[in-house]
Amino acid sequence: MQGKKGRYLLAGGLAGIANGLFGGGGGSVLVPLLTRYCGLDQRRAFATSVAVILPLCALSVGIYLFRGGLDVMTALPYLIGGTAGGWAGGKWFKGVKILWLKRAFGLLLIYGGVRSFL
Amino acid sequence: MRDWILPLLVGAATGVLSGFGVGGGTLLLVYMTAFAGVEQRLAQGINLLYFLPAGLMALPAHVKNGCIEKRVLLPAIGGGLVCAALSAWAASAMEVGLLRKCFGAFLIAVGGMELFGRSKGPEQGDSGGS
Repeated sequence: MQGKKGRYLLAGGLAGIANGLFGGGGGSVLVPLLTRYCGLDQRRAFATSVAVILPLCALSVGIYLFRGGLDVMTALPYLIGGTAGGWAGGKWFKGVKILWLKRAFGLLLIYGGVRSFL
Repeated sequence: MRDWILPLLVGAATGVLSGFGVGGGTLLLVYMTAFAGVEQRLAQGINLLYFLPAGLMALPAHVKNGCIEKRVLLPAIGGGLVCAALSAWAASAMEVGLLRKCFGAFLIAVGGMELFGRSKGPEQGDSGGS
């Protein structure tokens, strides 16, 4: 039991690093860790990551605001869209097949990654 | 007007993924930085802010479905908060060019894992038992 707790802590810590440093990607780190390293089944790992990431985002956004400010007008449409999307995501969660999403997701990430170097 | 419609739609689409618990924020970051020309650090701040409503809207459904693994929460959030605070601080002090390169390396690593990684252990499946 003790060992498991340490694993959760480490997984959360790594997600926190991504969250603070890149302003996102915590879930992309946390879910694979929860499934492969902590032995959770996929569906629980996904849902649990939402609950873990939320407080991290709140803290990080506070620090970003405090350290540099944030252009809320640019953010607004994303916030409104995200509110609707998040609600739908929770609602559809039970029926969704996760696997096909992962392929498209991986390709897009690599594209974005390469772009960051150009 | 177009300045508004596209971000709204993209936010809604990635919001669905964020609600599922993975990838939405990462994808939104890629959209903002690689397609919409939002400056890296601003994009990161927006993304953090964006997840607050997106995640909050999805959370009740997850709780209701009984999919939250409660014993994970305390240690993971505890470790996460400490690391998030330190690294958010670091990000705000870091030179943007370097931050962007780190971000690129991170994306490629995560993308590679998604494409080629293979999850062992319980695959898919609705939370066993229920």
